[in-house]
Amino acid sequence: MPTSGDERIKASAFIPVSTAAVLLVGSTTLFFVFTCPWLAVTVSTYVPPCSAILFFLVLANFTMATFMDAGVLPMANEDEDKDDDLRAPLYKNVDVKGVQVRLKWCASCHFYRPPRCSHCSVCDHCVEDFDHHCPWVNNCIGRRNYRYFFLFLLSLTMHMVGVFSGSLLYILHHQEDLLKLHCTVTLVVMSVSGLFFIPVLGLTGFHLYLVSRGRTTNEQVTGKFQGGVNPFTLGCCGNLEYLICSPISPKYTARPIKKSAVRIMPPFLKPETDRQIPIIRVRDNGVQRHDLQSKRLSADGMDEPDIKRLNTPPPLHPKPDPKLLKSHLAALEGHYLSSEPILARVDQQLAFQSGPMSSPHQLNSLTLNSHFLTHKHAYRHGNKLPALHSEGLISQKVSPGRFPPHNPLSSRSSFSYSNLVNPGDPNYLPQRGGPPLHYHPQFLTLGLDGSVLQGSPSHSYSPVFMGALMHRDLSPQTLIHREASPIRYDNLSKSIVASIKERQEMEAKDRMLRMQARSQALYGCPDMGVYDIPSRRSLPADSMRPPGSRAPTPPSYGSREFMMSTGILGYAGTRSPLSSASSSSLTRAPRTSSSPLQSSGLQSKGRSPSPSYLPPDRQAKPSSSSSTLPHTPSSSSAPLCLCGSREDINMQLWE
Amino acid sequence: MATEFHNLQELRQSPSLATKVFIQRDYSEGTVCRFQIKFPSELGSRIERTLFEDTVKTLNTYYAEAEKVGGQSYMEGCLACATAYFIFFCMETRYEKVLKKISGYIQEQNEKIYAPRGLLLTDPVERGMRVIEVSVFEDRGSSGSSPSSNVSSGISQR
Repeated sequence: MPTSGDERIKASAFIPVSTAAVLLVGSTTLFFVFTCPWLAVTVSTYVPPCSAILFFLVLANFTMATFMDAGVLPMANEDEDKDDDLRAPLYKNVDVKGVQVRLKWCASCHFYRPPRCSHCSVCDHCVEDFDHHCPWVNNCIGRRNYRYFFLFLLSLTMHMVGVFSGSLLYILHHQEDLLKLHCTVTLVVMSVSGLFFIPVLGLTGFHLYLVSRGRTTNEQVTGKFQGGVNPFTLGCCGNLEYLICSPISPKYTARPIKKSAVRIMPPFLKPETDRQIPIIRVRDNGVQRHDLQSKRLSADGMDEPDIKRLNTPPPLHPKPDPKLLKSHLAALEGHYLSSEPILARVDQQLAFQSGPMSSPHQLNSLTLNSHFLTHKHAYRHGNKLPALHSEGLISQKVSPGRFPPHNPLSSRSSFSYSNLVNPGDPNYLPQRGGPPLHYHPQFLTLGLDGSVLQGSPSHSYSPVFMGALMHRDLSPQTLIHREASPIRYDNLSKSIVASIKERQEMEAKDRMLRMQARSQALYGCPDMGVYDIPSRRSLPADSMRPPGSRAPTPPSYGSREFMMSTGILGYAGTRSPLSSASSSSLTRAPRTSSSPLQSSGLQSKGRSPSPSYLPPDRQAKPSSSSSTLPHTPSSSSAPLCLCGSREDINMQLWE
Repeated sequence: MATEFHNLQELRQSPSLATKVFIQRDYSEGTVCRFQIKFPSELGSRIERTLFEDTVKTLNTYYAEAEKVGGQSYMEGCLACATAYFIFFCMETRYEKVLKKISGYIQEQNEKIYAPRGLLLTDPVERGMRVIEVSVFEDRGSSGSSPSSNVSSGISQR
């Protein structure tokens, strides 16, 4: 039925034009046959030829107006509008001779309509200098055929005047023979011409007015320039001149496009500059680098070395003192440890970094544990160690020189959230150092005596999100931090180093908290293997968040809870889920604690959100690496046992 | 196999389209066909500014010549009207002649200037005179490590 409907529509569109054509041709033919011979004899012999010429003019313009392309603009290619379609505003302003003209986005043709262009709903295409869609010619009237339409109107008006007046003259001279054929036909022709003369004359006059004002029918009807200035008018004479004398613009559609092959083969020439132009590059990680544009730019090589430079870890630094690490670990245990996190490679490094590097291993494993949930990658790959994407700060602090390869990654991950929050903001990280500092005393307090911390965490991170993020984000601040922390280890005393580390941990924790918030949305994701068990098990339903949503600002529960949740487990996300989850998780696992910080601090907290998030099979690595941290024997059921030496600690924490 | 290998080599060597840059119309002087001479930043590393601007300015000159309302266009219109527009079947309009010149000019520019730089201009008439489309091709031949860099980048992202 749709086809028949379309056919009916199409057939009905031809009725006016057919009627017009029939009337025009028919009437004129009758006029020529029945009236013109008498006119030629009575009035002048030039009447028929002039009438004929006029009639041919009418016909020609009518034909051109009917069949000529009005200036149809072809639809835009996909390449042109692929950016616009998604975010394009509906209107765009351009300045035309000092007048702001609004360009509207054409949803059908996928481009911003040029000035004076409009979309014809009947023909379903945009027409340049759109006037109107004329049913009598069944065509759009636009830039290319407006002249012919106007001339058609003019000529038709004159023709109708001639026909009507000639017929009238004939009738007046043959009043006694009105019933004769000639008179009857002439009477009919006169009636028709007289009947249609009024609207045609009106339309002609209307378009004369439009031409004098330099407007189109569309603009007149929509009242675009009623009160304002028309930037497209050239004055009355100029408009008439433009109407008659302007060149005919080309047809845009159905053009014979000759494709002459132009061979494009690399290598390509590059522009050479005479001077070095400093380029400020804002990378997607928010780094702003000032590059000197060399004389010979290598298009694809430019960014590579830069990125590689950024990725290149800082030079190795002397490994921290194991004792230092112990103290640090102790401090860490009471705190959120999630920050440093390293990726899958960390576990590899930890794997080969055994023996003397046990402390860092443990530390890292602790941090890794804390970030276990964050990194689905590790889970997926069955890594015992949690591969985590988060800041490498703590790991940096622990063994800055140990994980140079991870620095970039950890830095990336650590700043992934920051980059999300403030992409391209190079100052974001330094600024974010503020809030973590706020927790410094709290952490210290906790670290020292495991007492309840004051204050509240600011954010909950989404470890999943962090893990899920591409590790492309590098920020110089991360590098700076990384580069700085090893330096601190070199010269500072143990306590100072510990405090510095704590501060960095707080920053990392801050970030992790934020990540947690994001991870909430991802907890239910089946693809996130890491979250399968913990998230579904421990997180309450209301903790589920739409992807991309942020966690609320600092949880309202006490700092202790925050410490528990963020410091180690940090993945619990929001407060309520954190608290509930932590409580559940905490109570779930047996609490064995001999570690100073953990046992006192964590147990007293009563909650640790994260342990439950860890799959039970994530047993810590065998405690091959001797732990420098005092740890209580941990139950094997501890969900989060990423490192043998850290098992119990993790147990404490998670519980 | 050998043929496939050869084709693969060719595919690897033939540049692929990286992006397209569109030069929009300049409507500051009305609906006269004129394109913006503003140098797009995406081409900054591919072609000299002066070369590109010269091309656009020349195109604008051509279009201004095509759309000039003067004696020639008036005579053309009168002739067409006098012949009941049958003249259009016999000869092409002035605008069409200039468009052919423009097409030749773009072709020449592509061959001499843009193709060696991995760019390709598209005749605006194919886009309804709304934009000048500049196709930017990937530059793989500048360094032999480009395929390896692609591989390395792919690995790093994993």
